[in-house]
Amino acid sequence: MNQQAAIRRFYAEIWPLRDVVLRTAQILAGNVPDAEDLAQETLLKAFRFIDTFRTGTDAKAWLLAILRNTRLDRLRIRGSAGHISLDEMAGDPADEAYEVEQSVWERPADVLNKFSDAEVIHALQALPEEIRWTLLLVDVEEIDHVEAARMLEAPVGTIKSRAHRGRQMLRTALLPLARDRRLVREPNRG
Amino acid sequence: MPDPNESSDLQQAMHDRLGRLRAMPVDASRLEQALQSHLPQRPGDLRGRLPFLRLNPLRAMAASVLILGVLTAVLVSSFTGPVLASPAQMAQLHNDLVSGRAPVMQVDSIESANRTLAGQSPQSPAIPSLPEDHAMACCMQSVKNKKVACVLLKKEGVPITMTVANAADMRLPKSPTITRNGVTYHVQSHGPLNMLMTERNGRWVCLIGESQPDRLMDIADQLQF
Repeated sequence: MNQQAAIRRFYAEIWPLRDVVLRTAQILAGNVPDAEDLAQETLLKAFRFIDTFRTGTDAKAWLLAILRNTRLDRLRIRGSAGHISLDEMAGDPADEAYEVEQSVWERPADVLNKFSDAEVIHALQALPEEIRWTLLLVDVEEIDHVEAARMLEAPVGTIKSRAHRGRQMLRTALLPLARDRRLVREPNRG
Repeated sequence: MPDPNESSDLQQAMHDRLGRLRAMPVDASRLEQALQSHLPQRPGDLRGRLPFLRLNPLRAMAASVLILGVLTAVLVSSFTGPVLASPAQMAQLHNDLVSGRAPVMQVDSIESANRTLAGQSPQSPAIPSLPEDHAMACCMQSVKNKKVACVLLKKEGVPITMTVANAADMRLPKSPTITRNGVTYHVQSHGPLNMLMTERNGRWVCLIGESQPDRLMDIADQLQF
């Protein structure tokens, strides 16, 4: 591909997705300067490697894969890459505490919609990196499980399991806030 | 899409709430600004080519006064003798083109570069043609108030700038020379960049790039005036 064609392709297929990259970077980084820095590096890499983007494939998934690699490289440099196993995850569905937690949400959609985006993002920050990525791809960007599995280099079953657990963990992380605002029912004691 | 095995309201509610983050507004203006200095201009983006289009009226007026001043200076200087382009100036010109700092017009051949530049400035010196030129961008620049036409080429993956001016406007440097096929080339360097200058058919031509002088000479050999 000549330089002209590469420039045209970048601006036609990748540039319109800059908001998606920045938003995802903000959710991951938790602050605007780091997010802008991460998004900038991602888009520059996308331009440099535009030759490797195959026409007809999902540009958003391609771009988010670059964002993920860029983010992982940065975490590795900082020595905080979040590789976790399922055993390390909190919120086992069989857990008694989880059963109690589950029972307090009467109208979950209404309650969750009362949290601001910033509060949800803050709660997402507390999750392990791979869980956060799973929720970002599957729930926020609505990328299908198969594509998410390919991007996160995990079996489809693992992605489904992580998404399920991730939602529980996020709910658990938001519970103290919901309790403070009396948005959930207190469980019967005694 | 939620996992089809998940039917619980809790799972669906969280899935939906996370999906609402997709509508979260983001301010990408700073990101766009930061990227502008690193990415080539979008094809057909007049704002990049004509920076004054982004100015408010007061600044536009100040810019107009400045442009008028520059034009006057150019007119006055056009009556002076030939000038000598320093290696640092030519290296700066090349680096600005390669990095996208200089406003350029995207082209796909030297022929289209000549058409574009002639449309912009009728006195633009014609750029000699090259077989398989791989031209990428062109622009008019000024070296000590003398107009030079520039075209950015890619040869074997290496960016090369060819700069052309009227021979009457430019002097050749007192640098080592190499003669090949009856043509004398003046060789200079600046950091990693090598430069080859010559005069042919009433035109001053300078090739700049990280290629060795021999390779630049191979290109110069193929120039058709």
